[in-house]
Amino acid sequence: MDDDVERAARKVRAVEQAVSEHVTRSGPITGRAWSPDGAVTVVATPGGPPQQIAVSPAALRMGPHGLAAEIVRVAEKAQRAASSRLHQTLERVVDPRELTAMGFPRHADEDEFGWRP
Amino acid sequence: MAAVNEDRLQAVEQLQRELRAITATVEHPNGLCTVTASAKGELRAVHLHPALLGHGAHAVGQVVTETARLATDAAVQTSFNRMALALGDGMAIDVESVTGDAPFRSAAHPVVPPEPAVEQAPPPRRRRAEVVEDPDEDAFFSNPFGRR
Repeated sequence: MDDDVERAARKVRAVEQAVSEHVTRSGPITGRAWSPDGAVTVVATPGGPPQQIAVSPAALRMGPHGLAAEIVRVAEKAQRAASSRLHQTLERVVDPRELTAMGFPRHADEDEFGWRP
Repeated sequence: MAAVNEDRLQAVEQLQRELRAITATVEHPNGLCTVTASAKGELRAVHLHPALLGHGAHAVGQVVTETARLATDAAVQTSFNRMALALGDGMAIDVESVTGDAPFRSAAHPVVPPEPAVEQAPPPRRRRAEVVEDPDEDAFFSNPFGRR
């Protein structure tokens, strides 16, 4: 069992290094999405919590329920954009099927999410 | 042997399903925001207290961001706990050695300075300066209340 774990750890470290070198070249991988009226903007990381949630002063008029629902909606879009960008960035060093299985599929409609390279 | 392997595969699939379904709900320390998030940082629900909106747009964004992080950390920790329950502490520690520490084991990232555990002790009483009998002392500048 220890050998298996050590082997798995070695493999993880090797992939981690390849990914790390790749990401160093490409820059941080995030996804960004926003409401059509700019009320809420979210910067998300793939597989992690939102990095930044920004609310415009005008958005406060939506009320607590409306604003909360909009934050959830935009955060989901931002994370999908982040996942898609991660997939695109790493598909050269990691099997794309593995990336999809890990929960980072490539979304065909990412442009709708306002992703900016 | 094949039946044992089949059982293991089913158990792994069951564990994966359970891990995917895990969420955690956390309230911000200020009590004005509650977030339900998955271990992958997906926000499943956000609840804003009406009073939070009175703190301004910047504060709303900051508080929701902090609460989302806390909820995600809690969901990741719950996943580690569930995994340890299914696979044993030894395997959970092995996983941690590969993926990094579970959130509650690694350094805490409080969003507000933690309150002191006990009430702060009152400042030590200053000892009154000892009265020195000085025959040359100028009585005009002395404090009669402290001396007599």
